[in-house]
Amino acid sequence: MRSTVEESPRVREAARSREQRPERRKRSRSTPFAILALLPFVLFGLAFAAYPLFQVARMAVSDVQIRSGQFTWEFTGLANLRQVFSEGDSWQAVGNTLFFIGATVLLSLILGLVLALLVDRAVKLLPIARNVLIWPAVVAPVVVSLMWLLILSPTAGGLNKVLRTLSLPEQGWIADGPSAMAAIVLVDVWHWTPVVFLFLYTALKAIDASTLEAARVDGAKEVELIRFVVLPALKPAIAAVVVVRIIMGVKAFDEMYLLTRGGPDGATTLVSQHIKTLFFDNLELGEASAFSLAVVLATAVILGVFLFFRSKADAR
Amino acid sequence: MSTVQTDRKSNVAVEVTLAVILLIAVAPIAWTVFLAFMPNRNIVASDWQISFWLGNFATIFADGTFMLQVLNSIMIVLGSVAVCMVVGSLAGYALSRLHPPRWLTIPALIIAAFIPLIPPMTLVPGLYLLLSEIGLIGTVPGLILVNGFLNLPFAALLMSSYFSGIPDELREAALVDGASEAKTFLLVMLPVVKPGLAAVGIFTGILAWNEFQMGLTLTSGGETAPVTVGIAGLLQPYAVTWGEMAAAGTLAAIPIIVMAVFANRQIVAGLTAGAVKG
Repeated sequence: MRSTVEESPRVREAARSREQRPERRKRSRSTPFAILALLPFVLFGLAFAAYPLFQVARMAVSDVQIRSGQFTWEFTGLANLRQVFSEGDSWQAVGNTLFFIGATVLLSLILGLVLALLVDRAVKLLPIARNVLIWPAVVAPVVVSLMWLLILSPTAGGLNKVLRTLSLPEQGWIADGPSAMAAIVLVDVWHWTPVVFLFLYTALKAIDASTLEAARVDGAKEVELIRFVVLPALKPAIAAVVVVRIIMGVKAFDEMYLLTRGGPDGATTLVSQHIKTLFFDNLELGEASAFSLAVVLATAVILGVFLFFRSKADAR
Repeated sequence: MSTVQTDRKSNVAVEVTLAVILLIAVAPIAWTVFLAFMPNRNIVASDWQISFWLGNFATIFADGTFMLQVLNSIMIVLGSVAVCMVVGSLAGYALSRLHPPRWLTIPALIIAAFIPLIPPMTLVPGLYLLLSEIGLIGTVPGLILVNGFLNLPFAALLMSSYFSGIPDELREAALVDGASEAKTFLLVMLPVVKPGLAAVGIFTGILAWNEFQMGLTLTSGGETAPVTVGIAGLLQPYAVTWGEMAAAGTLAAIPIIVMAVFANRQIVAGLTAGAVKG
């Protein structure tokens, strides 16, 4: 408890009235209003998360067919799971997603850190930078894809136009496998580095200015200052933002879907795209659900392991 | 502080590097706005032909489906923001200030922690069945509920942190003065957390406006879809409607960017808090 609050007369008064009427306090702990206030939230969760997840689990262990608009269910156990993971496409989607997460997390972390350090040291551009740098993060993913298609399209994109003007060879960009993956990584980094920047900049501002000043007075060079004072102080924020970006990477769908549809030849198919293809295009409802569940479980396990090691590192 | 500032003022390299990065951040947006005023033949031409033409916007506004999709999106935004503000502030208040029984708090906390972590696409098969069963598949009310729900954990947790920032004595005083719990919430507590409500409203509004996956998978497109799905329909890798694409992108992006300029504080609060918790 904060001592300033404890000392205020209003609280003492409230505390006294609490002592005088303990039964009232007890009643206020479990008023019907407390239940009524939280109930809608829990009902939403039951209807839109628990029930769909239950259905996903049910579909995952069933052979589901749609016959004349009716769903027919037949229990098949782990057959769907075995089937979906016996297909190369599924492993390709998992591999692509892991690569995508690794590349986007690393690149946006480095860029976001550089931006935070730059903005922290800027004077003239500081107000503009703090505003402009959140623009990419608020634009709809669909519109972000559109903007980058106008740049990366092999036929009419701005980048090839520039290359042509400079008499350099034109590129396929999103039409070729490796450069298509590079393109969706680049677009994701452009879109979400602002979030990393905001996190790290906020944490940077929270570092005690006198610590930095003292290090400078002691003759620390700027690089040493960053290496030995700033980076250690930013460690918790960096860990937090890495978790956030990993989660965003697992969820990624929009830009990849709109720019490449997962192609060419599945080179950029991420797990969300794979679920959508299985469910809506192949109508393999059971396999789609089994794969969904596997993704949910894998996400939970990976985050659990990460948080476990982080708390262990913190404790040390 | 002033000594620190004079130290930094001299650094030209910092300002120049930052300026270059800012240009890269803005370039795709600027390029899109630039192309929105070009006829197609200028865009696909191999040399640079500059013009100022409003035909792309005229074509888009003449398309009835596009306007219907904009209306759908506006209804989805208003509806899901209402859901988030009402249900989210009630839940946030309950979690931070009231002490609901365990059997209710534990499921609530599991939902709040779990939903933001999992890819929405993994819920789609189940949501598709649910909405089919209650007859809301491919409808605006269905998308309002789904969008509202997806943003609820964020709304509840952000409101809860705002409510936690109010000294407890305010609530105690109102209760001691004889106000009911409901009255205390509505007339005493809620007015204090207006900045939190604004942040929730603006941020969930932007997320609902930008939402694409649910609109794509839970509607059959066309007149029932939100505008993001409509714009996506214009995106064909070898499409010929480049100018219209750019115009549609400009129309969708500029209002949000203007908002980012004027409601910067709320959006920054949303981006950092929303990301931490979700």
